[in-house]
Amino acid sequence: MLITVQDINHSFLIGRKGKESNVPVLKNISFSVKQGEIVSIVGRSGSGKSTLLHILAGFLKPDSGEIVVKDTVTSVFNEQQSAQFRLENYGFIFQNFQLMPGLTAFENVELPLKLKGMNRHQRKDKVQQLMKHVGLQSVQDHYPNELSGGQQQRVSIARALITDPPIIFADEPTGSLDSETEQEVLELIQTLNDTRDITFVIITHDDEVAQRADRMYRMHDGILTEEGVPNAV
Amino acid sequence: MQFKDQIDFIRQHIKKNKLRVFMTVLAATMGTAFLIVLASVGFGIHDTMRSLMLENRLVTQIEVYSDDLGAEEAEEMKGIDHVKAVVMHQGANAMQQASLGKYTTHGNLLVTDFKEEAKVGFALAEGRLPESTYEVVVGNGFAESLIDESAAEKLAEALPEGSEEEPEIPSYKGELIGKTFTYQLGDYGTGELYDDKTELTIVGVAKKPSKDWLVDNKIYADAALIPELEKIYKQDKKEEVTDPLFSSMLYVYADVLENVKSVTSELKDQGYNVYSISEELDQIDVFFLALKAGLVFVGTIAILISSIGIFNTMTMAVTERTREIGVMKAIGAQPKLIQRLFLMESAWIGVVGTVLAIIISYAVSLVSNWLLPIIVGAAIGEEDFAELNVTFSVIPWQLVVIASAISLTVAIVSGWRPARKATRIDVIDALRREL
Repeated sequence: MLITVQDINHSFLIGRKGKESNVPVLKNISFSVKQGEIVSIVGRSGSGKSTLLHILAGFLKPDSGEIVVKDTVTSVFNEQQSAQFRLENYGFIFQNFQLMPGLTAFENVELPLKLKGMNRHQRKDKVQQLMKHVGLQSVQDHYPNELSGGQQQRVSIARALITDPPIIFADEPTGSLDSETEQEVLELIQTLNDTRDITFVIITHDDEVAQRADRMYRMHDGILTEEGVPNAV
Repeated sequence: MQFKDQIDFIRQHIKKNKLRVFMTVLAATMGTAFLIVLASVGFGIHDTMRSLMLENRLVTQIEVYSDDLGAEEAEEMKGIDHVKAVVMHQGANAMQQASLGKYTTHGNLLVTDFKEEAKVGFALAEGRLPESTYEVVVGNGFAESLIDESAAEKLAEALPEGSEEEPEIPSYKGELIGKTFTYQLGDYGTGELYDDKTELTIVGVAKKPSKDWLVDNKIYADAALIPELEKIYKQDKKEEVTDPLFSSMLYVYADVLENVKSVTSELKDQGYNVYSISEELDQIDVFFLALKAGLVFVGTIAILISSIGIFNTMTMAVTERTREIGVMKAIGAQPKLIQRLFLMESAWIGVVGTVLAIIISYAVSLVSNWLLPIIVGAAIGEEDFAELNVTFSVIPWQLVVIASAISLTVAIVSGWRPARKATRIDVIDALRREL
């Protein structure tokens, strides 16, 4: 297994200081993801799916339970180890793209390579190659505010892909897109999964999007259950 | 992240907030320039004081006082480290007169050691050093001091009463080398010269002293002359002789000014009463050290005020970039890298501010040293004030180093808290922020 999640529990403290109450958001979550799979986690707003993604990505530490990625227990990582592991193994696609407004499309895609310390020439070749692959060559010098939603999400996908990570986490990847662009982005994800053997974990509230995955989990009130996928691509 | 990329990253952010960064750099520049210029006044006045003191003295000379100073003590002193020469001067405690034909001078006989004198710059303009008891060398002003007194009196009498005109005093213009003059001792009390005369032959003329204003009209003789003159003194003096005719003075010369202090303290340890320029300089240095420290302290307050600007700028930068910091952390940026980027930005503000401040301070110093003497001279009605070489402001490299260190430290410390704040930004909160 590429990712194994075992008995994850997490709760938030809510309320005024001194009168906080403990609200459990994840209850005994266990699931696993195989190499090269597209797994979707679907659920309503507030069901805990985003919290699960944050824990998987290392943004949050679970109250209990264990996460093993590529045979490494990641749930015990400190902040530095977590950041390093993300840089080497994860790519992220966000609902509102989360591009740097002051950087061009090219520079946004280049950013993770800069963080890895790759030299300028190597970076240039790699970014140009990838931008061509995802159809962004013509807009590489544009700033995010000069791009359409679909183009911005493609830049975001390219940024997630640039370090060749084995796993990409997508948080509502089509949430800000119209239906036509949504299809394009989903097809791109599918193509990348097929051609590059990248594992995708997609968080969505949209059943239609979720059902295009290889496997689908449903999150309801902090409890995760696996469901069948009738329309798998 | 490579260092070059970190610089690029900071450059992009600075470019985005040009005006705000410019104002912060300006504040840092003004604070640092204020410190440098303020302290430079302390350095300037200190320099002026030192040069005024050193201008009129032989700076490496140490005067030694003691009841019994002789050749033996002088020899001992030569053994002290950094002592270049020990010169013993012996002067006659009696009225003296030298006559060359109709010209006379109340000559000042000085018995010295020519070998030691040569080590500290005594040189001849012409002639040679004495080789026998009655041979002497005279100072370059000796001829001018030989005056035809009767002609001078006549000239003074010829002048109309109440005239302010000063007659040209008729002094000796002829050749000195080879000339023999008469030297006589006398009694200060009665004002009369003793009968016995000593014939002295001039064999050399000393070189002009390095200081323009010094007039050397001395008669330099060898120690062999002392017994001869003492014999005359004992014979001719009517009262009982208790004090010796000659009294000694020892001058110890250090090799360089920096070693005057160590030689002085060594002599003091040996029980001599000494006086040297280093004693006076020490007191002045202590005073000015305190003054300069005070000025640097006041200047530092200005830098601290400017640090508020840096703190504000960096805090705003962190707040504005919270989402960007969150994205960077999400995609794998180390918290240490985030902290370094912000610290580098505040350090950049400090560096640019300091460099500009140094340039401006040198310019202000240059202009004030040129302009202030003119203004002060005009204000106090002394036109020559500008020629007195008064330095108002001096910026030594040490001051530049101190000011730069203070400025950069303050800039980095001001950026520290905002940078720490940046590392603690919660990724989830930051990603939820709207664009």
